Amino acid sequence: MFFHIVLERNMQLHPRHFGRDLRDKLVAKLMKDVEGTCSGRHGFVVAITGIESVGKGLIRDGTGFVTFPVKYQCVVFRPFKGEISEAVVTMVNKMGFFAEAGPVQIFVSNHLIPDDMEFQSGDIPNYTTSDGSVKIQKDSEVRLKIIGTRVDATEIFCIGTIKDDFLGVISDPGATS
Amino acid sequence: MAEKGEKGFSLSNGGKSSLKSPASFKGKDDSTAKSKRGRKVQFDAEEAKISMSSKSGGKVDKPVARGDWGKGGKGDKIANGGEVPVVKAPPPLELKIEHELPENAKCLMDCEAAEILQGIQEQMVILSEDPAIKIPISFDRGLQYAKRGSHYISPHPVRRVLDALKLHNVSDGEVSMIANVGPESVEEVFALVPSLKGKKSKLREPLKDALDQLAKLKHST
Repeated sequence: MFFHIVLERNMQLHPRHFGRDLRDKLVAKLMKDVEGTCSGRHGFVVAITGIESVGKGLIRDGTGFVTFPVKYQCVVFRPFKGEISEAVVTMVNKMGFFAEAGPVQIFVSNHLIPDDMEFQSGDIPNYTTSDGSVKIQKDSEVRLKIIGTRVDATEIFCIGTIKDDFLGVISDPGATS
Repeated sequence: MAEKGEKGFSLSNGGKSSLKSPASFKGKDDSTAKSKRGRKVQFDAEEAKISMSSKSGGKVDKPVARGDWGKGGKGDKIANGGEVPVVKAPPPLELKIEHELPENAKCLMDCEAAEILQGIQEQMVILSEDPAIKIPISFDRGLQYAKRGSHYISPHPVRRVLDALKLHNVSDGEVSMIANVGPESVEEVFALVPSLKGKKSKLREPLKDALDQLAKLKHST
């Protein structure tokens, strides 16, 4: 789920950047340091939308670097347990399938896939119902519920299920009308 | 297949046991204290049952339960029925955003996020001509996801329609999830957002109205 949030960060700037473009350089450095990063609390910082305030700089003893406290607004993406998400399948194997919802990877175990769907190996591995009416394969869109999340330094990984009501395949890339 | 099943069972049992472990640990603590505390320990077992059934509240429930243990002896009659808390069915997983994000966080619907990120992308096209500036992958993926999840022609009327639900104590996160999912019926809403089930009778009519209005705002497919 996306959120619009105000975060704060202490930015260090080398004296060579001081001058009339100080603020622009500070903002550019902030974007470079923060956009695309991931934290357990806020999720992925997708984009910075604005700068709320830049505080007074403090010179660090011995180095000459200056630290500025910067408050900025940004759009973050963070998955939550219990959230319903529409993801695109990226890989299917006998243990389950992997899907992507934005920058987040989600794994759905075969135990959390309806029992009437079975794994079919082959050139295009997939899960299919016994009558062949519903198929989950690479690039299928599925609606799933997130039941667990894990965050590491660079990404968020989730576990999902499609075994509840109103969950499952939304669109199948291989479907012919 | 059997091997897969076994492995799966061990994994799922491991998962289930880890879910059950808070209760079992409580049981163990109670048993050591049983000889000392008597009445209070039996009440603890019932509290453990109660805290397990409201497990979706997570860690917050435990200290509250412990606080209540010292207060009443109601557990005497009830707790005699079972010493070990047995969870019959786990409660449906509910969305709880407010506890985990700072108060200033504003929940965005996918269509709103798509509009914001689209505007930023137009500026980034100019910036991307500078080879020193790299657009992060999470931005592209986030924008793609927001566009794909956006079912509506415009986000502003959607926000107006769904904000009316907040008068009925529907939270920001729940409103955003309803917008993102684009449900076709009230039953679908209650199935996907189990936290609303408790207010089913009060929410049925407002939800129906909201869904009817949202249907008119969707992209024609």
